[in-house]
Amino acid sequence: MPLWTLRGLRRGIVTTRYPARPDPSAALLPTPPVFRPDVLTPGLADRLVAVCPSRALARDGDLLVFDVGACTACGRCRAEAPHAAGDSGEFELAATVREHLVKQIPLGGRSA
Amino acid sequence: MNPLPVVAGAAAAWGLATLIALTCGSTRAGIRASCAVSGLGGAAALAGGVSALISGNSRVVSAGGSVVVGTLQLQATSLAGVFVALLGLIAVATALYAPRYHEPGHATGLYLGVFNLAVLASLAVLVAGNVVTFLVAWETMALLCYLLILRRPRQREVAAGAFWFLALSEVGFVAIVAAFVILAAKTHTMQLDLIAARAHLVSGDWRVTAYLLALTGFGFKAGLVPLHVWLPEAHPVAPADGSAFLSGLITKLGVYGIALFGFVLLPDGPAWRGILTMGVGAVTAAIGILYALGERDIKRFLAFSTIENIGIIVTAFGAAMTFLAYGQRLLWAFLLLAGLYHVANHGSYKTLMFQEAGVIEHATGTRDMDRLGGLAHRMPRSSVITFLGTLGIAALPPLNGFVSEWLIFQGLFQGFRTGSHLVAILIVLAAGTLGLTGGLAIYAFVRGYGIPFLGMPRTRQAAAASEARQPQAGPALLAVACVALAVGAPVMLAGLARAMRTITGVTLRPVLLPGNLTVIPAHTNFAGFSPTWLTVFLLAVCAVPALIYLAGRPRGASRIEPVWDGGIIAFKPRMQYSAMTFSAPTRVMFDALYRPSVSVLRASDDPAGSSGPVHYESEATPIFERYLYRPVVRAFEWLADVVRPIQSGDVNLYLFYVFAAVLVAYLVAAL
Amino acid sequence: MMSQDATGPAIQETSEELQRTVTRMFGRSLHIRTLDTGSCASCEQEIRLLAAPHYDLHRLGFFFTPAPRHADLLMVTGPMVQVFETAARKTYDAIPDPKIVVATGACALGGVYQPDPFTRGGIGSSFPVDVWIPGCPPSPLALLQGLLVAVGRLADKVKDLDFALNGTPT
Repeated sequence: MPLWTLRGLRRGIVTTRYPARPDPSAALLPTPPVFRPDVLTPGLADRLVAVCPSRALARDGDLLVFDVGACTACGRCRAEAPHAAGDSGEFELAATVREHLVKQIPLGGRSA
Repeated sequence: MNPLPVVAGAAAAWGLATLIALTCGSTRAGIRASCAVSGLGGAAALAGGVSALISGNSRVVSAGGSVVVGTLQLQATSLAGVFVALLGLIAVATALYAPRYHEPGHATGLYLGVFNLAVLASLAVLVAGNVVTFLVAWETMALLCYLLILRRPRQREVAAGAFWFLALSEVGFVAIVAAFVILAAKTHTMQLDLIAARAHLVSGDWRVTAYLLALTGFGFKAGLVPLHVWLPEAHPVAPADGSAFLSGLITKLGVYGIALFGFVLLPDGPAWRGILTMGVGAVTAAIGILYALGERDIKRFLAFSTIENIGIIVTAFGAAMTFLAYGQRLLWAFLLLAGLYHVANHGSYKTLMFQEAGVIEHATGTRDMDRLGGLAHRMPRSSVITFLGTLGIAALPPLNGFVSEWLIFQGLFQGFRTGSHLVAILIVLAAGTLGLTGGLAIYAFVRGYGIPFLGMPRTRQAAAASEARQPQAGPALLAVACVALAVGAPVMLAGLARAMRTITGVTLRPVLLPGNLTVIPAHTNFAGFSPTWLTVFLLAVCAVPALIYLAGRPRGASRIEPVWDGGIIAFKPRMQYSAMTFSAPTRVMFDALYRPSVSVLRASDDPAGSSGPVHYESEATPIFERYLYRPVVRAFEWLADVVRPIQSGDVNLYLFYVFAAVLVAYLVAAL
Repeated sequence: MMSQDATGPAIQETSEELQRTVTRMFGRSLHIRTLDTGSCASCEQEIRLLAAPHYDLHRLGFFFTPAPRHADLLMVTGPMVQVFETAARKTYDAIPDPKIVVATGACALGGVYQPDPFTRGGIGSSFPVDVWIPGCPPSPLALLQGLLVAVGRLADKVKDLDFALNGTPT
């Protein structure tokens, strides 16, 4: 009997149970950011827009328009302003309507 | 019914058709009249052949003659019945085909006259009752066929092909004459049926020699390997109906000769002559189809396929002789019957294929498969008819090729009944070779039908092909004949079984056709099938998915999109499979046989992509011409060189020769 | 096939019926044809992993096929390079209806590359897209979720997420 079958039997089933059960490796995935509206000021928002390489962020008046579809989860916005942007941990992002992926985040922070 | 008067009527019709063709063949009306009379002759020959099959050997009739050649005698035998019927069928099909195929003109009139005379000469070969008649008719037939091939004598390949035909035909003729002379001398008669009756007077060694000479001589005409080299040169260069006649009938005259010597004149013989015949047949079949796979020219391809089928027939004959040597008379008669049935089948579909090759050549201007493509849409009726012929020739059920090859295989599989292990193994080896041949034949004819007819046209000429004004009645008749030979196989086999009783004395009918429509290969506990019911079954099986589709197809509108080509932006027809690439796997596997010589020429030595056009040429080595024929020809040339000094041109020397000859003759007479 | 913009009650109902039909037809067996319109192939690597033992899309009834004629779902990656448009259109047309189109990866959704003479910057203008899967590249788990949303076995969650955290950070 080939050795790999014995090895396989010893290891057990490695197939994930997703979607019936959550997959533990999901915690390691890079995911889009979440923003803190109470910290975001227009100036900070402009800096975040400038630093995003994928044009996922834009400023529309006092709203930060965040296109989740365009986000590559590179982490530059989080590196630029760690107090304003954190890790969302969301990876189940499929949408049936493109506009559902465009989020508007109010800029509630007070300029320093 | 006495077949001789009917056959005589056919002969008269063909003689009349010759006259009409020679006198008024330059007009369209003259061509039509000549072909009509020729067709009537064909119908008469078909009837006469069938009646000869059924009613047994007719009596011998003297038909004049002279002091020089002796009496000419005619006899319609059962063995010749199949061949006469086939001749009639081919004549009718050609009569329907020729008016639309040929352009009216002086040369066409001559050609049709020669054609009808060649048909008449073939008939004479088949109904010859004595040796002289046979030989005279044979030589006449050969010369007339030579003229037939020379329809366009100014083209170099035509002249070369015709020369090959005539040269090897004459070499074979020498062997045939020798064989007949041996028999006639030993039995003291020239009449064929008397020779058969007195065969026991010929001693064993002479019998074997006569048979081997006959096998060689008739093998030249039939196209057995290595005597076949003229066939792929001569058959393609004749006009289409001429090629059809050559492949469909003239090669069968060689088969008739082998059958005549092997089963009628010298039926008893040692087992090894049967095994030799069987081996030659099997090798012929395999080599024929292997060379066919390397051909781009449709007619050369069909010519090699003829060689393959002749090999199958001769294998059946050889196995039959082997079985007789071991006392298996049922299988002896059965395999002879199977071989003759294959003669009829091959005659029908090969004639059809050559006629269709002529139609393609006239419609597109080329015979090269790699320049064709997509003809199925442009020539729908011709493509259906050719498809039926292809099914037959590839031996696919339910058509006639399948039935006759099944019979031959079933006969070969019973090799164990000989009782000798070695012989049984040899017979099984022959069956294995035929199996290889059958598989390669299907492969070859998928290529032979698919490349020209399916896919997209590879050239403008192929795209512009049209079947308007092309002959269709002739090939259509042959397609109907193929289907009839398949579905009505039990009827045909019953007739052939009657003929077997006359030729071999074995009553095959009860063991061959025990009930309605089922065929048994000579022993009931071995195998059996019904060609008729198989056809019905296959039609029903194909009807079921058709009905399901009609009942269950979606009611909504359907979208028609182009064939998925991988998303290529500009799909060019030349990106399709070509004939040579399709057969490349076989050519690689058997390259010990082909021994291709490859030449590659680059425009420059720059790396790939910037080196300019590359010229690639691969040519199969003609091993038979190079290693067998050329040495023989060189030997004769050397001999001629040695002898040439005699011809010095000096009158005095010639006078001395005369004097020396007289002196020698005088001395010899005195002693 | 399923994309709806406005959602009035009547259209909502039809959309649910449509959803049920889609689930009935494709929910248990779906053939996927992938199409790379000029991506960096990271999405393709993640798509390949779907067939590996750890994620195993076959257990969910999904299969890959190279022949568009046999496909039900077209999974498109890449920003639609201009020179590829004809081939992409041919592939789309070669798939019989009903079909589902899934845009996969940030490039196909319009991020990363903006429209210029060489790319269209996203496939939204080339095909009617039914499901959008963000990610660069989307992990195999995200792809599985996207496929299950496409056949109606999972509901899409992202429309209820707002990506805004309220309250002070810890």
